[in-house]
Amino acid sequence: MQSPAFLTISDLWIERGERVLCKGLNFNVSVGEIVRVLGDNGAGKSSLLKVIAGVIPSLEGCIYYFGQDITQDHSRLQQDTLYIGHLSGVKNMLTVEENLRWHCPDVTTDKLHSTLSILGLLPLLSTSIKSLSAGQVRRVALSRLWIQRKKLWLLDEPFVSLDAEGVAILESHMKQHVVAGGVVILTTHQALTSIHSRDIDLLS
Amino acid sequence: MTYTSFLKSECLVLWRRKYDIFNALLFFIMVVVLFPLGVNASPEFLAPAAGGIIWCAAVLAILMSIESMFKEDYSDGSLEQLVVSGLSLPLLVLIKISLQWVAVIFPLLVMMPLLSEMLYLSSGIFWVLVVTLIIGTPSLFLIGAIGSALTVSIKQGGVLLMLLILPFYLPVIIFATSAIQTAQSGLPYSGLLALLLAISLLFLVVSPFMTAISIKASVN
Amino acid sequence: MNWTWFHKLGSPKWFFLWSKSYALPLFFLGSVALVVGLIWGLAFTPADYLQGNSFRIIYIHVPVAILAQSCYLGLGFSGLIFLIWQMKIAPIFIQSIAPIGAVMALIALVSGAVWGKPTWGTWWVWDARLTSVLVLFLLYMGIIGLKNALDDVALANKSVAVIGAVGLINLPIIKYSVIWWNTLHQGATFTLTEKPAMAAEMWIPLLISVIGMYCLVASLVLWRMQSIILEREHRSNWVKQEVMNNGF
Repeated sequence: MQSPAFLTISDLWIERGERVLCKGLNFNVSVGEIVRVLGDNGAGKSSLLKVIAGVIPSLEGCIYYFGQDITQDHSRLQQDTLYIGHLSGVKNMLTVEENLRWHCPDVTTDKLHSTLSILGLLPLLSTSIKSLSAGQVRRVALSRLWIQRKKLWLLDEPFVSLDAEGVAILESHMKQHVVAGGVVILTTHQALTSIHSRDIDLLS
Repeated sequence: MTYTSFLKSECLVLWRRKYDIFNALLFFIMVVVLFPLGVNASPEFLAPAAGGIIWCAAVLAILMSIESMFKEDYSDGSLEQLVVSGLSLPLLVLIKISLQWVAVIFPLLVMMPLLSEMLYLSSGIFWVLVVTLIIGTPSLFLIGAIGSALTVSIKQGGVLLMLLILPFYLPVIIFATSAIQTAQSGLPYSGLLALLLAISLLFLVVSPFMTAISIKASVN
Repeated sequence: MNWTWFHKLGSPKWFFLWSKSYALPLFFLGSVALVVGLIWGLAFTPADYLQGNSFRIIYIHVPVAILAQSCYLGLGFSGLIFLIWQMKIAPIFIQSIAPIGAVMALIALVSGAVWGKPTWGTWWVWDARLTSVLVLFLLYMGIIGLKNALDDVALANKSVAVIGAVGLINLPIIKYSVIWWNTLHQGATFTLTEKPAMAAEMWIPLLISVIGMYCLVASLVLWRMQSIILEREHRSNWVKQEVMNNGF
C-alpha cells in the first residue's frame, strides 16, 4: 500500500462572498515539493492558501494531512504550518526582536542574530516596526521562515516588495527547506528563477 | 507562538499604548465632572446619584477602550496569525480580554477614592462601589469583545459598536447601581452582587467562544 | 425520529418550493383574524370599568408587543442554529424578520405611548414593559445596522447570528433586570398556564387578534425570505425555471 501523501486536497469548493471560486479542486502534495498556485486575479489563489491554513472554511470537500482528515479541526496541521499572507502579521508597536520572540519564543539569541544578519536586519533589532519600510517589514515577516521549524510553508505573494537580493535569498532558503523534507505552497506572479516548482492552475 | 509569548507581547503592546488607556481615564473623569456642572452640584443630588454617575461614565470609558481592541491586530494581520497559530482561539481571546480589563480597571479603581469624595459618597458605600466595579466590569469587557470583533472590519464602527453593545450592558448597570442605592438605604445588597457576579461568569463562558467565532468570520 | 425535513430546511431551494404555497393563505387567514379581532375588540367589547374606552388599544398594543418578542426569539434561535449547524436558510430568516420585528417594537412603543396618555397622563412612563420594548427596539436596530454595515455576505451572516444568539441569552436577563428595576407595572396580560383574569368577551377578541398577527407576520416573513432567496440564487437554474414557469 502506498503511504499517504503529505497533503491531499479532495473535491475542494471555495466560496467568497456569493461567488464560487474553486469547483471540485483535487491535488496531492508530497514531501519535498514546491507547489506554485497559478491563476488570474480573483481566481482564488489567496483563498486556497487561507483554506489550507484554516483561516476561512471551505464550502465543501476535504483536506487530508498524511491521510488524516483535518477539514473540521485544522489545529494538527496548523502546528506544522507557517502561513504568511498579504498582511505581515507583525505588530507595529513592537520592535523586530519582540515580534520574532512573540512568534517564536524559544529561539536562541544566536539563531535570531544569524537570521537577521542574513536578511540584513541585524542593525534594526530593536527598532520599532512602525519606523521600517514596507520591504523591511516583509523581511521581518519572512525571517520567521528561518527561526520557526515548520514543515509546511504557505506563502501568499512572498516576493512582493522584496528587492532582487531578497528574492534570491528567499528562493535559496526555499530550496534548502524542500531538500530537508519540507513543503512549500506559494502564490506568485513572478517566475521562479532558481528553483523548480510544480504548478497548479486555478481556472477562473 | 505559545500562550506565554502571546501574553508577553500583549503586555508590551498595552504598555506602549498606555496613553490610550490614559485618555480613556481622562474621558471618564470628564464625564463624571459634567454631572455636578451640568445638573446639580449639591450633596443632596450628588450623593444618591454618585453610583449611577460613576457607572455610566465607566461604561462609556470602557466602550471607548474596547472599540479599538482588535483594530490594529486586524489591520496588521496578527489576528490572522492568531487564527492559524494552532492554539485555542477562545483562550487567546480570554487572555487578551483579561489583560485589557486589568489595564483599564486598576487605574480606574485608583482614581475612585478621589471621585467618590467629589461626589460626596460616604466611605461605607465607597467599598460597595468598588466591589460592584470589580465583579461587574468583567462582563462589560467580555460582551464588548464580541461587539469589537464583529465591527473590526468596519471603518467607522464606533457608533455601531455602541448601538450594538449598550443594550447588553443595561442589566449590569441596573444591578450595579441598584446595589449601591440599596446599600445607601441600609438594606442588604448581597443578592444584587451575586447577580452581577453571575452575569460576569455567564459571559466568561459564552464570550470567548462567540468572540472567536466573530474573529474567524472577520478575518477572511 | 426522522430528521430529513430539518436538513431539507437548510436548502434555500427546497425551502422556497415548500413555502411558496403557504404565504398567501397565511396572509388571508391573518388578515381576516386580525380584522375580526380588531372590530370585535374595538367596537363590540364592553368598556373597561377602570380605564374606560382607552383600554381598547390593547387589541393593537398586545399583539404587536407579543410579536416583537416572538420575532426576537425566532431570530435568536435561528442565529444559534446557524452557528451550530451552518444552516443556509437561518441568516435569510434573520435578515427577513429583523425589520419586521423592529416595526412591531416601534408600533408597540407608539401604541403604548398613546395608551399611556389617558391612563397615566403622560406619553411616556418608565414602565418596565415599555422600557424593555424600547431596549428590544434598540437591539433590532443594532442588528439591522450591523447587517447593513458589513459588505461581505458571509461575514454579515455570521455576525447577525452571533449577535442574535448572544441576545437570546441576554434577553431574559435584560427583561428580568428591567422588571426588577421597576415593578410598578401591570402584570402580563396573557399567561398560558393561568386562567386569564379578564372577562372572556374581552380576551377572546384579543386572542383572535394575536393569532391573526402571528399569521400575518409569518406570511410577511415568508415573502421576504422568498424574495431574498430569489435574489441570492438568481444565477442558479432552478430560479430561472421558476421565473419562466410562474412569471414572478
